[in-house]
Amino acid sequence: MPGTTAFPDVELVVDDVGGGGGGPTPPPSGGDDDKRRRPGTPSPNRYYTGITLGIVSILMFFMALASAFLVRRGTSGDWIPVHLPAVLWLNTLALVASSVTLERARRSLSGLDLSGFRKLWAVTTGLGALFLIGQLVAWRQLVAQGVFMASNPASSFFYIFTAAHGVHLLGGIGALFYVLVRKFDGTSIALPTAAEVVSYYWHFMDGLWIFLLALLYLGK
Amino acid sequence: MPLPFPRRCILFIPRPATLVLYRAGEALSKTGMANYDSGASYPDSSQGGLLTRCLFSTRHKTIGLQYLWLALFSVFLGMAMSLLMRIQLVWPSVHLPFLSSLGNSPDRFAALTTLHGSLMVFLVLTAAPQAGFGNYFLPLQIGAREMAFPALNLLALWVTMASFVGLTGAFLISPQSGIALWIVGVALFCAASLLNALNFSVTTIDLRVKGMTLPRLPLTVWAWFINAILGMLIFSILLAACVCLLSDRLLNTHFFPPFHFPAMQQAGVVTGAVPVLWQRLFWFFAQAEVYVAMLPSFGLITHLISTFSRKSVWQERLVVLALCGVGLFGFCVWGQHMFSSGLNPFSPLGFSLLASSLGLPATILMVSWLGTLWNARMQLNTAMLFALGFISLFLSGGLSGIFLARHDLASAAVSDDFVTGHFHLVMGVAATFAILGALFFWFPKLFGRRLNEPLGKLHFWITFAGVYCVFMPMHWLGLIAHSRVSPGTPVAFVAAAGSAIRTFITVAIVLTVFAQGLFLINFLWSLFRGEKTEERNPWRATTLEWSVPSPPPPDDFGPSDPVVYRGAYEFSVPDVAEDFLPQHLAPEQGAKARESVE
Repeated sequence: MPGTTAFPDVELVVDDVGGGGGGPTPPPSGGDDDKRRRPGTPSPNRYYTGITLGIVSILMFFMALASAFLVRRGTSGDWIPVHLPAVLWLNTLALVASSVTLERARRSLSGLDLSGFRKLWAVTTGLGALFLIGQLVAWRQLVAQGVFMASNPASSFFYIFTAAHGVHLLGGIGALFYVLVRKFDGTSIALPTAAEVVSYYWHFMDGLWIFLLALLYLGK
Repeated sequence: MPLPFPRRCILFIPRPATLVLYRAGEALSKTGMANYDSGASYPDSSQGGLLTRCLFSTRHKTIGLQYLWLALFSVFLGMAMSLLMRIQLVWPSVHLPFLSSLGNSPDRFAALTTLHGSLMVFLVLTAAPQAGFGNYFLPLQIGAREMAFPALNLLALWVTMASFVGLTGAFLISPQSGIALWIVGVALFCAASLLNALNFSVTTIDLRVKGMTLPRLPLTVWAWFINAILGMLIFSILLAACVCLLSDRLLNTHFFPPFHFPAMQQAGVVTGAVPVLWQRLFWFFAQAEVYVAMLPSFGLITHLISTFSRKSVWQERLVVLALCGVGLFGFCVWGQHMFSSGLNPFSPLGFSLLASSLGLPATILMVSWLGTLWNARMQLNTAMLFALGFISLFLSGGLSGIFLARHDLASAAVSDDFVTGHFHLVMGVAATFAILGALFFWFPKLFGRRLNEPLGKLHFWITFAGVYCVFMPMHWLGLIAHSRVSPGTPVAFVAAAGSAIRTFITVAIVLTVFAQGLFLINFLWSLFRGEKTEERNPWRATTLEWSVPSPPPPDDFGPSDPVVYRGAYEFSVPDVAEDFLPQHLAPEQGAKARESVE
């Protein structure tokens, strides 16, 4: 019957739209992005998803190295443990402190205290740079003791762990610096979103270093 | 957002060269190959010179096509190498223009094999179905206008190009530096694949258009998505292994001491687990890499079979689960390759069971394909022929995999030739059939023209027969090599049989490689002179890419985003003028279609 025919196979799902267009509700501190979205503009959720998946991928990289470390240590006769320089503990302290200042900076931002945010953010960036300089000092101390990258498997692993972590952390410092100097007018990402995304990465780098340090300390 | 590369680089190109490039660009635009214009909301890469638009475009369609061109070049280069190797194997005294200049050094011959393998596995089987078709069609199929991170996408493309230069350049320099360069090339490819995987996953999770819920995703998108997740996990492992290996070669570190490698050891000596370390890291990647090449093919083939059978996918949700299962099991079976490496005595059994359990998702996929084909009004065009050819090759190659999954058989009864035959049939050729099927299917959308069907069918049948003639006898060769010759059988008889089989394989491969000329002619001719397709949806398919003109305009969907109302495989819908309902067709329009029939 024309006009009265129902179309059972066709359903319009509007409420349960799972697409990125709708997506889950954005996190509270990055919430102004969706209001600014024009049709065809991709969801800002992509930054959160991207950093989360990126972290998983980086974790796999370090897990491969860690498993190689454990297997190599347990199966070889040429393993000479590396005596970890004391400066590493100070570096760790600086990195943990940077995570704390980062969170305080974000709290300032959510309280709309932009100048407080910038100050604390700059301190975080400085602490990050301090950590890297400290790592270089640790390398120099080891070199002075005659422990080189090619000396034995344990020293090879020490240098590769610290170098790989340092390179990833350098990327984090670049991101911190970017957030510090960039004016977020008319960009596809808002300042709170950028700060939160960078904070995920930074805390991950912090936790990863503590894991690596524990591995190097306990596994020597 | 600023361009990732300085625009002023075009200033350094001499004026005549710019003119030549400009004319070439015009020609490409006329054939619909270039879509470099700006979209609604993404960084505009249409501004600037021709180089900026051609090479530094962040558009997903341009980047997808560039991956496909790279794969096309690599596949012909790789095939030429296999041809040289087989000819040299059977007629070693024949003067070959290229191979003879290499000085008959075993190093060079080994390098040829390595380069053939790395080009085919990385730049063809990994890059073409995922990065090539995926970049072009994933955003179109989910209604996104761009990938999630276009600048990363461009970076990944150029890192892949650098990797191609590293891999092929390694062959041209001295073997010692060549190995280091090759490792750099592989590491670069890993980095590019990680960037790609990140982009694909985030795009699928966050950029789906309104109404494109997970159950409504086309299976191609599911396959690209699962593959991206798998890639993100395994390429990190190979990257770490490559960093250690490179450090061993360049900085004299001790991650993998060379004297511990099996090749350097005396026969029968296994020194602890150290040689196993590299193998573990490598096979953790490499076994899953097989599924990285196969997963997109599974998605493409399921899509083609459903479209050309005019039936919805049989047990679609089970197929999604099977695809997840392939990813999960594929991630866990690395030890299957190390049965002869001195593992813990219990682990071969565990890996055997895991490897055999891969048969379950494979069987589900196979049953679903056959279930979809059952009683179907099949359209036997070239794309469908390649899809059916894929099923045949996957089944034949997969069956020999069962022998290899048994640790007692794999380590004792079969030799290299058996393994070579197995993985070429199931991974190399089957995945290539999927790529070719997808190319025949999407060619009208990519270029606005059709490939020639009779020539395509001729190419299919010669290739189909050819690959069976090449790779089936390799299985026999592998079995003969390790079979125990009974006392009464003269050894010369077995050797003669092996030699005859080798000659047969070589003749078959020469014919098969030359048959690919038919494809090349068809491809190039159709690109410029092929039958034009004015209609948007020549195959009467359901997914979103067929709702836009062919080739798609720069902003893909025009001013407004599409809305999705139903699943991706609504074929043979009763009482509708056409026998299918596209995903974007609003219920009112669907109802009108039904009224017009009544």
